[in-house]
Amino acid sequence: MTDVRTPEAGSGGAGAAAPGEFVPGDPAPPKLPAAGRFGVTAWARWGWRQLTSMRIALVLLFLLALGSVPGSLLPQEGIDPAAVQQYYTAHPALAPFLNAFGLFNVFAAPWFAAIYLLLFVSLAGCVLPRAYRLARSARALPPAAPRLLSRLPNSVRYETTMTPAEASAAAEAFLARRRFRLHRGDGWLSAEKGYRREFGNLLFHIALIGVLVSVSLGGLLGYKADRVVVEGSSFADTITDLDAYHPGHLVSPGDLAPFSLTLDKFTASYILSGPDRDQPSVFGAHVSYTAQPGGPVRSYDIQVNHPLNVDSTKVYLIGHGYAPVLRVTDGRGKVVYDQATPFLPAETSTYLSEGVVKVPDAQPEQLGFAGVFLPTAVDVDGQLQSAFPAPYQPAVSMIPYSGNLGLNSGVPQSVYQLDTSGMHRLDTPVQVLTPGQSMKLPNGAGTLTFTGYKQWISLQVTYDPGQVPALVSGIVALAGLLLSFLVRRRRIFVRAYPGESGRTVVDVGGLARSDVGGGFETEFAELAAGLGAAFHGTSGADRPVPVTASTPARGDDDPSPTTEETRSAETE
Amino acid sequence: MSDNVGLAQLSDHLLITAVVIYSLAMLAYAGDFAYGRRVRPAASAKTSRPVAELAGVGAGSGAASAEPPAAATPAAVNQPADGRERLGPLIRGAIALTYAGLALHLAGVITRGLAVHRVPWGDMYEFVTALTCVTVLFFVALMMRYRAWHLGVFVMGAVVVALGLAQTVIYTPAGPLVPALQSYWLAIHVAAMTLSVGIFFVAAVLGVVYLFAERYNRRVAAGRSPADHGIMRRLPGAEELDRLTYRTVVFGFPIWTFGIIAGAIWADQAWGRYWGWDPVETWAFITWVVYACFLHARATAGWRGRRAAYIQLIGFGALLFNILVVQTFITGLHSYAGLG
Repeated sequence: MTDVRTPEAGSGGAGAAAPGEFVPGDPAPPKLPAAGRFGVTAWARWGWRQLTSMRIALVLLFLLALGSVPGSLLPQEGIDPAAVQQYYTAHPALAPFLNAFGLFNVFAAPWFAAIYLLLFVSLAGCVLPRAYRLARSARALPPAAPRLLSRLPNSVRYETTMTPAEASAAAEAFLARRRFRLHRGDGWLSAEKGYRREFGNLLFHIALIGVLVSVSLGGLLGYKADRVVVEGSSFADTITDLDAYHPGHLVSPGDLAPFSLTLDKFTASYILSGPDRDQPSVFGAHVSYTAQPGGPVRSYDIQVNHPLNVDSTKVYLIGHGYAPVLRVTDGRGKVVYDQATPFLPAETSTYLSEGVVKVPDAQPEQLGFAGVFLPTAVDVDGQLQSAFPAPYQPAVSMIPYSGNLGLNSGVPQSVYQLDTSGMHRLDTPVQVLTPGQSMKLPNGAGTLTFTGYKQWISLQVTYDPGQVPALVSGIVALAGLLLSFLVRRRRIFVRAYPGESGRTVVDVGGLARSDVGGGFETEFAELAAGLGAAFHGTSGADRPVPVTASTPARGDDDPSPTTEETRSAETE
Repeated sequence: MSDNVGLAQLSDHLLITAVVIYSLAMLAYAGDFAYGRRVRPAASAKTSRPVAELAGVGAGSGAASAEPPAAATPAAVNQPADGRERLGPLIRGAIALTYAGLALHLAGVITRGLAVHRVPWGDMYEFVTALTCVTVLFFVALMMRYRAWHLGVFVMGAVVVALGLAQTVIYTPAGPLVPALQSYWLAIHVAAMTLSVGIFFVAAVLGVVYLFAERYNRRVAAGRSPADHGIMRRLPGAEELDRLTYRTVVFGFPIWTFGIIAGAIWADQAWGRYWGWDPVETWAFITWVVYACFLHARATAGWRGRRAAYIQLIGFGALLFNILVVQTFITGLHSYAGLG
């Protein structure tokens, strides 16, 4: 991606109209049209030239980098909405101000979109004309050889017994074997190679546009959803059966892949000792699924780096926890609740989890419970704690409430929180229940039994049709980048003419029009030696003699452009 | 768990010894500046004499003389017959120490990997030891070609600081990985990042030296500095430093790009999206954009030279910020530094 818009100074005399040489808008900044004398067209042309100039592209690149900074330093809606809420609480005066500039959602903010869209328009405005020129010049010939080859950055002079025509033919054959593009004139030959460099450069930039298009494709046609599944239960990939569903703008409910999935078993292992104690070492969710209703049942082991792929829809394991199985009998002696209830981990190192049970069907009054689940319950100085994330000593401790759960109030409630405003706490000492144990509620309100526990997992269902195009674009961009860095564009010129001694003088000159990686001197030396051998030819014992040779001394005041650095200097 | 404690300790000792030897190398490089004899004959002591040219001529004449007609050797008329500069004893000692330190450094990284049965770049400490190893390796490779060994004092200085801080501030004992890191993409993505950061490290050091050389040139032009300053004479000229910096960035940039792509593929497998503006992702993007700026600036009239060098250093600053601040202090999905 170097010298993208730098005009390469013509070096080989007239007709140096190779691709990439003329670029609108750069290097000379376009002149401002004088007001009143030019119409809308002139202004539009001026604006377009500004936009597609390298200077503006550089400024836009800078702005893009700068604009991303707040997105990493401030909490973002798209990544962690809870953190944004916390920020509002912590900085009540500053937060609304920041929000006015979209700083809590930088990567979806209009100003951020404006920067990258302008950048890509600028990119397209520069790259597409260059691609057109490259395509047109597919058969263009290299420019005529300059008169004095000894003034080129690399040159060598031979004398040979061949005639000038024979020497030219020998050079032509030699360079053609090395796949140079050739242009022959009267007593001179010019050869050029390395057009893939410009091709690679264009490929890179066009592939970047491809990345942007792929990302927007995914945003429009993809969807993302979450679902909590307890061991032994199932769900189907439908809008009603998903917990949180975020569709792209063009996704309709019928577009969802019609699979259903059952969690058979979840296993987790933890490190038992050492500095990383309590850290998880392996997670695995054993699931069975059908790709469409009535289809065959398959099984899969979803792990952290191994999502399940059902017809391009991917299912990821993103979280897990415990779901104690609790049975509630109400005052009438009737079982009104008996199910595994997902609790949310409150401490990731010990998996101490918090959760609630809501029993709207309990009589005479509705019952509610709030409490904790401890995978490895220990008593530390009268304080109930969990010592380890694995379920070695599972226990629950629940606080009972009775009254009105408020489920019919119309206000949406979280399943993980109990609204105790219409309830009163039942007066009973705190009890720790191990599997099989029960606690009696006071005044014959019922019993709560901890029958056992299951594990739950949190799955993310993602469909992103932009994924593969984005990957392909990324790889193409990388390939283009490598081409443009590795290939050097170089020209070799040969002039053969009769010398004073009666022998033929052959001048060979060369220059690299781009030499990012360096090494043209070496290549020229090899080519020159090969040409020297070619002039030796068939004509017998008299071998060609190199008379003079020069390699560039770039520190000296050599007027010839050698690499792109000096070239751009000339354009200033 | 099954980590080999003996190997892990060996790794620690090797790396500490490497830092000591690098420090000695740095002192030897610095000593050469102070006490070494003049290295170039006065005729070729032009400040702008590029080093690459010397290497180029050597290679060129070698290739030509390999051809059957022995007389076809082009005589480099405008070059001194012996282009290679002669190195003083101090600097030769410094180079030897550099090689010795590098050998120990490599051994330290490898034994760490053997101790934990995985690639040795799973936490921040391992990442910094591995990337500084790349820095020295790349520097040595670069100098074999361009023969500007006097730059060693700057590279060694920077490496000693980075590696020393790694061993004191962010040292983490050998241990296993959390599930999210248990993927072969760790080997690919983090290896690419380690390589490119190591290379960008060299570019940043070259960039700083360039800024000094460029300032020196301006002072000489203004008559405010003597034209044959002892230290500057031993360093490559500003133009050559600029070119070396550029080539170094050009080498690192595609690797960084590849690292981002590999990271995106891994993120897709591990987190369910290939790009999510996680703070570390965002800063990797910022770094990429700033280095892209540098590559474009260097080819744009009015932005070359000093301005481009500053952009390059801003890019490296973004890189450092990402490693030192974002991965360590800002909560995100990449919080694997192992610093608790």
